[in-house]
Amino acid sequence: MHTQDKQEALWKFGSYIFLLVVTALVLIPLYWMLVAATIPQSEFFSWPPQLIPGTYFLENFAALQENVDFVRSIGNSIFIAVTYTILSLILCSMAGFAFAKYEFRFKEPLFYFILATLVLPIQLLIIPLFLLMVQIGWTNSYLAVILPWAANPLGIFLMRQNMKAIPDSLLESARMDGATEFQLYYKIALPTMLPSLAALAIILFLNQWQAFLYPLVILQDPQMFTIPLALADLVGQQRVAFDQIMVGTSLAVLPIFIVFLTLQQYFIKGILSGSVKQ
Amino acid sequence: MVLTAIQSTLRSSTTYQQLSDRVRYARQDLSGAVPSIPGLPYLYISPFFILFGIFLMFPAAYTFYLSFFDYVGVSNNILLSIQMGPVVISIPEIANLEFVGLNHYERLIFRDSLFHRSLFNTSFIFLVQVPTMVILGLATALVLDAKFIRAKGLFRTLIALPVATGLVAYSTIFLLLFNGEVGLVNYVLEQVGVGAIPWLGDGFWARITLVIAVTWRWLGYNMIILLAGLQTIPEPLYEAAEIDGANRWQKFRYVTLPQLRPVLLFVIVSSTIGTFQIFAEPYVITGGGPSNATITIVQYIYNQAFLQLNLGYASAVSVILVVLVSIMSIIQIRYGSEE
Repeated sequence: MHTQDKQEALWKFGSYIFLLVVTALVLIPLYWMLVAATIPQSEFFSWPPQLIPGTYFLENFAALQENVDFVRSIGNSIFIAVTYTILSLILCSMAGFAFAKYEFRFKEPLFYFILATLVLPIQLLIIPLFLLMVQIGWTNSYLAVILPWAANPLGIFLMRQNMKAIPDSLLESARMDGATEFQLYYKIALPTMLPSLAALAIILFLNQWQAFLYPLVILQDPQMFTIPLALADLVGQQRVAFDQIMVGTSLAVLPIFIVFLTLQQYFIKGILSGSVKQ
Repeated sequence: MVLTAIQSTLRSSTTYQQLSDRVRYARQDLSGAVPSIPGLPYLYISPFFILFGIFLMFPAAYTFYLSFFDYVGVSNNILLSIQMGPVVISIPEIANLEFVGLNHYERLIFRDSLFHRSLFNTSFIFLVQVPTMVILGLATALVLDAKFIRAKGLFRTLIALPVATGLVAYSTIFLLLFNGEVGLVNYVLEQVGVGAIPWLGDGFWARITLVIAVTWRWLGYNMIILLAGLQTIPEPLYEAAEIDGANRWQKFRYVTLPQLRPVLLFVIVSSTIGTFQIFAEPYVITGGGPSNATITIVQYIYNQAFLQLNLGYASAVSVILVVLVSIMSIIQIRYGSEE
């Protein structure tokens, strides 16, 4: 009994050490980014490297703002990411509901066809998409960035898997009580799927928040730049404004940190609340 | 015995309560006739499929079409030209296409050594990356799933944070950290007596740097999906195993692993797709170098399409990539779903 207790304690201790080491390794680059954001660029390449945050954050931010109108970029990023997330949630949950709870012709082939498109690399679609946007005159518009990946294959997959968990009997009894078919969707399916919707929302928001190559091709007016584009603009041919990039990145990560810390309970529950087992 | 235990847990679970509350709520609230609308499912899926068709299927089909064509002469009407930081892009007007049949494919498969190089590099990264990611992600998830760990939410959030750093920021950080002369990593290695490693100057180490960067960025994401999977495993299964006298390893081997199989498969397949599409890291951190030791397939597509304006050829590479990844995924799903 005694040795078993000892073993148990050792196991717990080992687990904590492992967890702390992983967390530390993950955090070091981020910590270093914070340090870099708060020291003047001149100290950037000092040897030994700087390890303690400085007091230059505001100065660096002022330089950043003057250079690329970063505040405007934050606004653009938020607008695009939020609109995209909401639109995509609606499309994916509606289609996912149909795939999970109705029978119709070509249901299986259609679903597997959507899944198969997960393997298409984004880089491949950029040129045809760009040509298409030129044709319909949508370059430099929010819409051109928001619409294409709103019909998200991963989104429909997660929604279908999770909505399978809604009991048929629940829908049946609501039907008998006189619910219209559409009410089944927004009065029963949506409210019970809140955790899954929250989880999908985080994934979609993150994807759009850091999207780079496609927005770069579509949005050429600096007034329309999202955060990643504004930051890329700082990597000049002669000089790279490292300090400003680090300030901008720190600010870009902050909202994600807050959103994630508050929503991650939902995220864990929601991502697999249905029957992945099937 | 186990089954009834599961059923009773299910009944007492909050989801079940919420669902039955929802029924009561629905009963009070809803009234009116039930019109059975024919073709209703199609109504639900059509908004998705309209956008999907226009913005994903049409471009994909167009790429497939282009892979059999070539430009006649260099197009001089450039529609778009960007030179911003590390990125150079130009898109010419598509005109004067000449049908070349399977020429592109023939050249790619039999004669293009740079393509073979990129295939090798990508496969190397895949073979090191996916096992590293799965094992590390699973270990972290298992520890975080243990009951005695405190401040789980904080740990989860901290480990997942790198996913939020965008391409430029993330690659700039790694470029500087792994810099051979003034990077923090080599500084630490020298302090502890290991000595400096030519991270970006040597082909092998440059590929390892890419693996480290990708693992850093995506570990939290995969960990969270695995963690979510671990939490769907019913507690009674573990209790039953304990009654049978199973030790920690046996519980992992005979309860956790089989129960986690679908989620594990999802992580493996999506990591595979992810590594085969790796682009940002080699593009910005190593630039494909030294001497093409880290050029990847998608980077090759990018170079062909945006720098050398060989749109048809780039499309052919894309088609091969899609076929390759599809085959890999199908094999993994087949093999992973058995037993």
